[in-house]
Amino acid sequence: MRTSLFTAGAVAIAAAFTLAGPAQAAESDAQLSVLHGVPGLTVDVWVNGERTLDDFAPGTLAGPLALPAGDYDLAITAADAADASAPVIGPVKVTLAASGNYTAVANLDAAGKPTANFFTNDVSQIDPGKGKLTVRHTAAAPAVDVLAGGTPVISGLANPNEETLTLDPGTLSVAVAAAGTTAPVIGPADVTVAEGTHTVVYAWGSLADNNLKLAAQNIEGLHSAPAGVPGARSGAADAGAASAGQTAATVGLGAAVLLLLAGGVAVSRKQPALRRTR
Amino acid sequence: MDGTTTAEATRRRPSPGPRTSALASAARRVAAAITIALLISGCTAPQETATPQPPNPPSAQVTAAPVPAPTIPVRPATPQTQTPKDPPPRFFTVAGTTIKMPIVKVGVSPDGAMEIPEPFNEAGWYRFGPAPGAAAGTAVIAAHVDTTSDTAPFSQLKSLEPGTLVTVQRDGAAPVTFRVTGVELMAKDAFDGASVFRRDGPPELKLVTCGGRWLDDLQDYGDNVIVTAVPA
Repeated sequence: MRTSLFTAGAVAIAAAFTLAGPAQAAESDAQLSVLHGVPGLTVDVWVNGERTLDDFAPGTLAGPLALPAGDYDLAITAADAADASAPVIGPVKVTLAASGNYTAVANLDAAGKPTANFFTNDVSQIDPGKGKLTVRHTAAAPAVDVLAGGTPVISGLANPNEETLTLDPGTLSVAVAAAGTTAPVIGPADVTVAEGTHTVVYAWGSLADNNLKLAAQNIEGLHSAPAGVPGARSGAADAGAASAGQTAATVGLGAAVLLLLAGGVAVSRKQPALRRTR
Repeated sequence: MDGTTTAEATRRRPSPGPRTSALASAARRVAAAITIALLISGCTAPQETATPQPPNPPSAQVTAAPVPAPTIPVRPATPQTQTPKDPPPRFFTVAGTTIKMPIVKVGVSPDGAMEIPEPFNEAGWYRFGPAPGAAAGTAVIAAHVDTTSDTAPFSQLKSLEPGTLVTVQRDGAAPVTFRVTGVELMAKDAFDGASVFRRDGPPELKLVTCGGRWLDDLQDYGDNVIVTAVPA
């Protein structure tokens, strides 16, 4: 889902800002976040020539903002540049689809050159009781394996690719190692995968410069409800049986017959109940 | 909509300066619009937040810029472990009944249904949803309605009168009391999970079991009995 364009959510942010007027977030708006993953480079983010994010520091995440679908132009310059005429990344045009969820990342490519990547975030509903973890390789480093608790869970992930896992919720001890090895080049670090949440982890920085790090972004509210509440074992609490019992208690002659019937029904229900699951 | 987003959006809103020019006025209007957009988006779309952070991280300050400073939340992206949630329930009673039951934490069965504790005299709290006493959403506690040969305590749910008090003991926190507002039968083949397992909106307690008629061919009851209670 990644487009190798330089992108910037900030563009959209600025565009929304400048175009806003009485704008209101609509159901069809896109959600855009921006992650800065270029070590040692504090930047300004420009949208259509307007400075939108000032002194945006490495390792920080901006957004999300709700933005109308459409094309946005952006550029990234050194901090405090007079204008956007000499960008260090871009300028580029990004397209946001209605209801899309995106993260634009300014990062290093595998060879260490500043670039940008535009990721589409999966915001589909997650099965009840589960969480999602996506790992994105946005670092100047060769292909890596991702380890959870010392065990490889993702193998051979290369810049700028991503891989997604659906997991039981919990806190993982996550480390990143060169592909085929288990000696961490990042971590281990605790990463919480919460139920109904899509956690996106970025490996960023540079192996050669010894400044590889993890960044994380959580997209919440993707939970879904259990399919049902199976509270039955045998039918002993059947509404019909219960009313028959009450009738028997209050009526004279017929009561004995009803009690017998009810008893017979109850006995017949003692057979091992199939465990209903629904 | 989480409170943090609201607070930050509000906090970072550019404060009205001494300038009264049309430009400054327009800037404030636009900033307000974006603040509103943030508020609305939190209610209508999947909510995206950074991992929990200490309040007011220094880097979150958006400095004044030549153009009007947008209210863009900015925060360190360092992975964080999750903040503790509301204290879990451990025991509860329903006034006027024999329901005095320990509560265990449950999740989801392999088939996607809520787990129900095996013992007939034990209730399960859906641990992925809100806890009783949480600020928003439904806390769901469920138990079997019967045993292999008899009724179980939760068979009394269907007869609860509005106003009945439900008291929930919690781990490491004061008990919370709820007042029953109603009992409904929900057909299992039309189970509305989104309303029973709700994570936002007004806080409620839902006590759930099976009920209605026993369907021999399905080996199951036709309905769920759902008691709704609100903070007393």
